[in-house]
Amino acid sequence: MGIETALGPGIITTTLDKVINWGRRWSLYPMPYGVACCAIEMMGALASRYDMARYGAEAVRFSPRQCDLLIVAGTINLKMAPVLKRIYDQMSEPKWVISMGACASAGGPFDSYAVLQGIDRIIPVDVYIPGCPPKPEAMLQAVIKIQEKIDKETILDRK
Amino acid sequence: MIMDVADKSLNDLKSVLGKDAGEVKPALDDIPTLEIEPMAVVKALRFLRDHKEGDFDLLTDLTAVDWLDYPESGERFEIVYLLCSTGKNHRARLKTRIPDLDPRIESATSVYRTANWLEREVYDMFGIKFDGHPDLRRILMWEGFEGYPLRKDFPTRGYGPVERTPET
Repeated sequence: MGIETALGPGIITTTLDKVINWGRRWSLYPMPYGVACCAIEMMGALASRYDMARYGAEAVRFSPRQCDLLIVAGTINLKMAPVLKRIYDQMSEPKWVISMGACASAGGPFDSYAVLQGIDRIIPVDVYIPGCPPKPEAMLQAVIKIQEKIDKETILDRK
Repeated sequence: MIMDVADKSLNDLKSVLGKDAGEVKPALDDIPTLEIEPMAVVKALRFLRDHKEGDFDLLTDLTAVDWLDYPESGERFEIVYLLCSTGKNHRARLKTRIPDLDPRIESATSVYRTANWLEREVYDMFGIKFDGHPDLRRILMWEGFEGYPLRKDFPTRGYGPVERTPET
């Protein structure tokens, strides 16, 4: 039992929400799941020119247990799908998922026996980025959208 | 046409194999090509590898072609062996045809160890079995995958719904 269940919805909880969401919003730790050309654009967004550090999401960790933002950038084929699911499961709550590009969102041009037709068939997705591949600006906007989503969350929602 | 070393090696092979071999012809890419009978493949590969002038020490590629829609061209599956001499810088190609029903051929792993994974790929994609292969498993698709994707009669989306996921 945490403080939120003890207090219920009220001024203390909402004030806590603001503080906690502020912290979460500006310190996203991305888990890069780059498997195709989208990953190059993701690197571009992370590097100095577009500089995702401006949104507090520059500390890329290659261990799912240290991350709260999964960026799936690229084609996920069916042999890879269990790995993606496992990585998502290994990330600790709270966690968010960005599906970057046409392949991750809907299979892209690969409507074939080998390719997963969208990662939302196996894991929940918060923000989809269209494009093939999307520009780094689109990546940044996805991070902003995630931040807006975090803003609307309350600690009462999460178990 | 000037007869180069690769041509000469294949002609030597042709005279050894006798009626098991066709004519040595340059393909569109000018690599001399010899069509042989499937049971002579391993013997032919060993001959070319040990050939003093040919010296084909590298099996560059081993792949297959599905001639499903061209029955008049011969048996359905064509297996292609692309050989290279790293020392003398020339190439040669062997081709053989095997029938549709229970396609199998002797493994080339006893001659070229690199044939191991190449044959696994051909098995995975075409369902051609290689007798004497040490470890004939699927290499690209997962265990339990149904069908052989590069066969011409394989549906592009696979059998059954595409969205199914392999078991973890």
